[in-house]
Order: sequence, then structure tokens, then C-alpha cells
Amino acid sequence: MDGFLTALRAEIYVALRSNSVRLILILPALTGAAQLLLMSLLSAGEQAREAVQSGGFGSSFAEASGAEAWGALVDAYSTGLTLTGLILITYAAWSFAGDKDSGVLRHLLIRRVSRPAVIMAKLAQVHLFAVACLALMLIVSTLVANLLWEFGPVVEDGYELIGTAEILAELRLGLTLAIIPLPAAIALGLLISVLAGNSTQAITAALGVSLALDIFKGVMGNASDYLYASYLSSLLDESYLSDVSRLVRGFSDVMIDPALLQLNQWVGWPQMLLFVALALFFARRKAV
Amino acid sequence: MTTQTDRVLSVRALRKQFGSVEVLHNLNLEVTHGAIHGLVGLNGSGKTTTMECVLGMQPYNSGELRVMGREPARIWQGRGDVVGIFDTPGVHSGLTVRQVLEHARLLCPAPHRTPAQVEQLLGISQYSKYKIRQLSLGNRRRVSIAHALLGKPAFIVLDEPFNGLDAGGVEDVLALILRLNKEEGTSFLLSSHQLAYLESICTHMSILHHGRIALSSQLTDLFAAGQTRLFIGCDDVGRARQVINDVPGASQIVEGDNSISLTVLPGTVASLNHLLVSRGIAVHELRTEKPGLNQIFQDIVSSPATADSPEAQ
Repeated sequence: MDGFLTALRAEIYVALRSNSVRLILILPALTGAAQLLLMSLLSAGEQAREAVQSGGFGSSFAEASGAEAWGALVDAYSTGLTLTGLILITYAAWSFAGDKDSGVLRHLLIRRVSRPAVIMAKLAQVHLFAVACLALMLIVSTLVANLLWEFGPVVEDGYELIGTAEILAELRLGLTLAIIPLPAAIALGLLISVLAGNSTQAITAALGVSLALDIFKGVMGNASDYLYASYLSSLLDESYLSDVSRLVRGFSDVMIDPALLQLNQWVGWPQMLLFVALALFFARRKAV
Repeated sequence: MTTQTDRVLSVRALRKQFGSVEVLHNLNLEVTHGAIHGLVGLNGSGKTTTMECVLGMQPYNSGELRVMGREPARIWQGRGDVVGIFDTPGVHSGLTVRQVLEHARLLCPAPHRTPAQVEQLLGISQYSKYKIRQLSLGNRRRVSIAHALLGKPAFIVLDEPFNGLDAGGVEDVLALILRLNKEEGTSFLLSSHQLAYLESICTHMSILHHGRIALSSQLTDLFAAGQTRLFIGCDDVGRARQVINDVPGASQIVEGDNSISLTVLPGTVASLNHLLVSRGIAVHELRTEKPGLNQIFQDIVSSPATADSPEAQ
């Protein structure tokens, strides 16, 4: 435990002083905010055009803004989470391999810390980074969205399709379900880091594997329900958050399978444990 | 004869293969407490691989290794009693010198020196706020050595410690090694191609050739055991040659105008002098010359490798 805490402290010391870590920490938040600004500009332009075309007798601004505001916010969260997922697997892949490349890992292993403790410290540090990254992204996106839109129930022709409380509940669920598979992605990144010969190889492999999993989940049929990547926000998004995005826009054709929601909640954990166990196994045997 | 407790490092029958290539063949090596043990060898002889196996950075195929009584994979349990300084500095390039040392201090359970003290010790105080990537190779090496000295290690393994250092830097590092060895009893295992530097500080020396230790000994024994070149100045070279021909072990006899040179076994110089004088030959000069480390090294590395060549201990 002492070795683990020492390694974790050392990891945090370096991360806090690294410009590149700061940059990737704020990147999802900046991307989410930029997307919201862009959507706001597009939406304002569209509303102005509609107002001109209808001679001022179109749907009210307030009615339109409810669905658009929530939709834009969920899309920003989704983009932020997609980017966060990619950043986390890449950062995890770089963590061990990068220290191996620079020779820093040797000092840790000789002086104070066992290989399993280093792996667990890296895992913990990437998780702390993930918490900070997600919190920043959610806070910044929410603040920017609140500055740009007025939030309220989704109303169509004076009829409330979905209330604010229900939207918030769905949003919470969507975010939770999209975040649950992230530890498995981090553990996969760390396993790749241990197996790779150098950091370039590790980062390339991590990105390649992420994209491959994204493609495979579309061709695996029902088997993909047992793959953690199916529940991550990604480029080919099949996560529950993509359903939430449609729900808050007032679409009523969203089919929610409770069994899938259950799988979403537990399927990532055994895969995470497997990746960590493999990382520990190979870390004991590989040259550093 | 050393006992288990005398040794900081004990390597027995170490074998290491990279694919089908066997890099280390039944390598045996011991480093005793308080020794400055030099490990020399040609490029590719296995020095770095040996050091990496010793420090637990490389897995090995067979053999028994103990560093401060522990297996290499458990070196970390000594909480900093062993440190390694490798041929590449191995520090975070994005941090400043001071930050690197503060970071290293986190790994040190009982810091013996402050970052400022080790900066001063290695002459890098003026670079304290510089990022590692802004430093020359020599100064990065100084940082990596400073990094190792925050604690009070009992055994320091240095791979090519003089690489990238200027003449002043080498002198500083040599003086530092001697100081730590004398004042704190720190044991060292050093690998280098710089035989003259090693000869000036090492107490023990091992020559690694073709993946095995071809020679390992205390430096004093190493020189004493070798044949001595003897120069004799005398009034009658012809008669002296006749006398020398009968001396057992005398070889490579070369006659000059008023002198003769030959190779003799250790301990025969006095008896040879006595013999010459007793035969009425006036000896006006008697000078011996020991072979240097470079000569011993060259003799070993120029000999062809054999599969079962003996290994000295």
C-alpha cells in the first residue's frame, strides 16, 4: 500500500506540472463549449430565416428553444464524452509506455515500488484524471448552454411532450450509463501500454483498437451487447445517451430495452478486471 | 573468500537469451561491501544486459541473482538502498531540474540530502529552474546522478556514468564516487569503456567478454598476478643472457646494447638479480614494469572465444 501511495503521489506530482496533461484535460470541455456555440449560431440563423419566411407567425421562440436547448446540451455532452473516452484510452496507453521510453519507470521500480503497485497507481491516476476531465466538461458545457439557451419543458403546439424533471432524470441516466464503461476503456489502454514496445506504438494501438471496437460492435449483432464499447459514447454512437438526445428533442419513437440498460451497468466491470489482471501479469514479465 | 553477508551483489550462472541469441552464458559475478567494482567489455559484450538483469529490469532465462540479499524483482523492498543510473538519464524532460529532484524525493523514504544540496554536490545549482530538455547531455547526466543521491544508497549501479561528461565533469564524478565510497561506505558497480577512469578508482575489476566474465579480481591482485616485464642494465649482456636462459619462467628476452629486457614470473626479480651478481655481472639498473588494465583487457578481448573457457572469480 505504501508503494502504491508513493507511486500515486509521484504520478500526480508530474501530471500537475505537465502542460500536455493540462491541455488534454480541458480539451473535451472546450470542444463541448465550441459545439454549443456553433449550434447556437446555426439555430439563431435558422430561426431568423423562419421568422422572415413566415412573416412572424411561426412557432414561438420559447417552444422551439426547449427541445433545441436540451438537444444541444445532450449533443455537447455526447461529443465531450466521445472525446474523453478516446483521450482516456490514449492517456492510459501512454502512461506506462511513456515512462518506459523515458527511463523514469526504472527509478520507481528500483527504489520504492513493485510493478503491480506501479500499474495500480497508473490506473488510479488515469481515473482521477477522468473524474477531473468529466467534471470540467460537464460543468463548462452546462454553463455555456445555460448562457445560450433558456431551458424548460419540451412543448409542441402548446402541449408539453416531456417535462424538465423527466428530462433531467433521463439525462442523469444517460450520462451515468455512458460513464460506466470508461474504466474498462482505461484498463484496456493500460494493458496496451504494458504490452507495447514504446509509447508511439501504444498510442497508435490504443486508437486503432478503439476504432476497431467501434466498427465491430456494428457487425457483431447481439454479441456486441456484451462488449463494453457498445455503451460508450463514440463516433458510431449506440449509447443510451444517443437515445436521450432524441428523447429530449421530443421524438416518441425511442425504444428503451431494460435488459440492455442492465447489461450496460455491469458488462464493463468484468472486462475491466480482465484487462487489469492481464496488465499485471504481463507487467511482471516484460523488460522495462 | 567472501561470505553471503559480505556481498552486495551475487550473480551465479546467469543466462540470458534474446530470441535464439544467448547474450550471457553462465555469468558469475560478485560485488563485495565497500567495493568499487568496474565492469568492462567491448560493445555488445553484455554489460548493459547484465546491469539490467541485476536491477530487475530484464527477465533472465536461468541463474541466481541476489542484490543486497534480495531477488532483483524485489529490489524495491530495500526502500532505496539500491539505485541505478543508466546510460540514458531517465528523468522527465518536461520538468525543471528542481522539480525532477523534488519528484525523486517523493520516492525516497528517508531523504539524506535536500534537492538544493544534491544540486550543489553535482554543480548544477545554476540550472535549477531549467527544464531537463533545455540541458546538455552532460548536465542531464549530472541530474540523473543527483537524482540518485537524495537518499543514502548502500549500492549504486552505474551504466556508462562518464558518457557525455566533459573532463571536469568526469573528475567531479570520480571524486564523488570515491567520497561516497570512503565516507558512507557505498558500494558501486560501474560499467564503462573508459579503462583509465576505472583503473583510477576501482578496487575490483571484471572483464566481460562474449557474455561471460573472463576475469574478475581485486585490482591489486590483477596486476600482481600478471607477468612482469623486467629491464636489466648490465656490463655484459652476453653473459647475462646465458644466465637468464637458465631461469625458469623467463621469456620474451630482448637484448639491447647495455641492457636486456625479459618477462619474468612474479617474485623472481630478486633471485635473478642475486644470480647475476653472484656470477660477477655488474647490474647498474633493474626496473620492472607491470602491464596496465588496458594491456590486460586487450590480451583478453583479442583471444578467441571458446565455448567452455574458464571463468575466474
